Amino acid sequence: MTMLEGIRVVELTDRLVDFGGRMLAELGAEVVSIGSDNGTLAWQHGKQRLTDIDDDRLCSLIAEADILLDGRRKGTGPDVGDPTTANPRLVHVIARPFSADGPYAGRPATDLTLMALSGLMTVIGDPGKPPLRLPGEQAYALTGIQVATAALLGLRARRTTGKGQRIDVSAFQSATLANYREAIMYEWTGRIGHRTGNKLVRGKSGVRQVWRCADGYVTWSMIDNPGMMRSVVRIMAEEGVAGELTEIDWDNILVADTDQDTIERWQDIFARFYAAHNKAQLGEWSLKNGWGLSVIADLDEVRQSEHLAARGLFVPVTDEATGTETPLPGPLFRHGAGDAAPQRRLKQPVPIARFDGWSGS
Amino acid sequence: MGALDGLKIADFSWVGAGPRATKDLADNGATVIKIESRKRLDLGRRSPPFAGDPKDHDGSAFFAQTNTSKKSVTINLGDPRGVDVARKLVAWADVVVENFGPGYMERIGLGFDELKAIKPDIVLVSVSVAGRTGPMAGFRGYGNSAAAHSGHAAMTGWPGSDPHMPPFAYGDVVAPMFATVATLAALEHRDRTGEGQHVDASQIEPMVHVIADLYAEPDLTEKPGNDDRAMAPHGVYPCSGDENWIAIAVEDDAQWRALCSTLGDDALAADPAYVTAADRHGRRETLDATIGALTGQSDKTDLAERLAAAGVPAAPVLNGKEVLEDPELNAGGHFQKTQHPVLGESMMPAPPMHLSDTPWRVGPAPLLGEHNGEIFGALLGMDETEIARLAEAGVLA
Repeated sequence: MTMLEGIRVVELTDRLVDFGGRMLAELGAEVVSIGSDNGTLAWQHGKQRLTDIDDDRLCSLIAEADILLDGRRKGTGPDVGDPTTANPRLVHVIARPFSADGPYAGRPATDLTLMALSGLMTVIGDPGKPPLRLPGEQAYALTGIQVATAALLGLRARRTTGKGQRIDVSAFQSATLANYREAIMYEWTGRIGHRTGNKLVRGKSGVRQVWRCADGYVTWSMIDNPGMMRSVVRIMAEEGVAGELTEIDWDNILVADTDQDTIERWQDIFARFYAAHNKAQLGEWSLKNGWGLSVIADLDEVRQSEHLAARGLFVPVTDEATGTETPLPGPLFRHGAGDAAPQRRLKQPVPIARFDGWSGS
Repeated sequence: MGALDGLKIADFSWVGAGPRATKDLADNGATVIKIESRKRLDLGRRSPPFAGDPKDHDGSAFFAQTNTSKKSVTINLGDPRGVDVARKLVAWADVVVENFGPGYMERIGLGFDELKAIKPDIVLVSVSVAGRTGPMAGFRGYGNSAAAHSGHAAMTGWPGSDPHMPPFAYGDVVAPMFATVATLAALEHRDRTGEGQHVDASQIEPMVHVIADLYAEPDLTEKPGNDDRAMAPHGVYPCSGDENWIAIAVEDDAQWRALCSTLGDDALAADPAYVTAADRHGRRETLDATIGALTGQSDKTDLAERLAAAGVPAAPVLNGKEVLEDPELNAGGHFQKTQHPVLGESMMPAPPMHLSDTPWRVGPAPLLGEHNGEIFGALLGMDETEIARLAEAGVLA
């Protein structure tokens, strides 16, 4: 059996809970998704989508559910009252942009505004240009992961208490939790981080993180890992391009304490080496020698990755409305439990009155 | 009580990707015993910022915020006698978590088969850059590696620019969150079937998942920057002063009119070039310049409040100081004050949720080996002589 087989989930979708519901569906839960905003292929496949909501019918579904994912990004939605009255074992997860009664309660929010508040955008991008967000909708995704976590915490506690409970998730806090660096850096050093492009600043100097190679880009940085540095320089020496790098005693220098001019001089040597080789060669050397260098893959290269194919990450998902098939990430991780996959379909929404009800009931 | 009271975790993980997952569990009541060693110090203990001497392995604020509410023992896993002690912890535990390099746990005799022999229903959660199977299974890398292999780096940055790597390892954040979900789901499965399992969480795959919306667009190749597929204005605009910015996202026509009104330019709302969402999106570059000119003289916080009051999603771009001092985060309990023997009173991040019946509690991170006596003696039943002998021999170190 799958990890969450038999677990029933009602999702009142509004972007904050969508990925959480998707994770639970992937783990084997039966997820019914309700809402006007529920057309996104990426987040809604594998769920039963319902429309034309009748509050009484919805309440009867919730009365037989284990989990209610109650998305309140816009503060409105179906009137489900206090669903734990009819179903005391219900784990009721409510996701809002902000805390229910805090200073920002009720403010409108989107992924972009939540990311702005998280403190992440201020360090993403280039000096002299506006702050940038991460690709996709990371505040929604991070909130969705916390929604799934909350639901599973509620299930776990229910095993002990016999009761469900209400769990309030803040999207602002979920996004900010991903910012593990800026707030504590200020708390302990008084320094405020800003955008530094692709330069990673540590100690006295900054090091490059992105390098051009013969057919694209790789990521790698000079860091205080002597074994790794020696390993890269050894191959460069074999190629006859290591120059002064062969004379550096990596065990007895600290990159972070080296002045910027010296770092730049060394990095110029690495840059010429990387520019002379292609991604495949550099990736192979890295895998074999533990360089920590990674080839930067575009979306198509990720879709075509032999490694990810071997792990079964991408699965074909069919949109019932169009009949088109799109490769999308499927399993969340590899595991030893039954791997009966959820239906790889974006189902056509059906009116709630025509829904047959929960499986097995 | 916490949601996970009674749950027992033997945590062999280190640095960021594993410890963030077990922090979630510890804050929610699980007993998490962190197995460390002075012989192979958790690199998190050497990561800045520090509360004083960087050489003090109990003074890293990075480590402290990543390991709240846990206990710490020191065991040298390079010594077979240390592995024997670790086996006792496995016998005690419900869950084992590790993020060592590929094959390490097997080499020291703590692979999944050995763990199962000790505890048949054990849940083993392994976190690694590329996972434990597949052509890249042996890959050694960092959180940034996952950004490269998942498409994040290629899609981050301004349209037309080189790939971008921000100065934080997002893969070290997302992967442990998946590992937390994996652990809880595996426990649910165990409780219903009696079966443990090995969960193999890679850092690359969660990073692909969180941009599944990009993968759902087969023709997308260019970085979106701050653009949205439908919304406009949708961007970050300058405000008065140095490095002050406001993010604004307009979802519908009513918000567009409210934005123009709040910015004092009702004529803009009436401009036929921008009447519909499609009009605005099609002319978004020109529109962004117009909006930026209107926001430039305003205070970012004041303007965001006025826009929010008018129903327009808007927020100042906060920096680290402003995040730490933000009234909403502090009212919501995002940072919890803890007392730590070296860091003193310090603010630690809490789970971003409130559970009505089983609240979390964030305690301080442990000192290195702080709980050796309690765990080896009271929990594992080792006598004082044996503990002293193994400590002297560098086994419990």
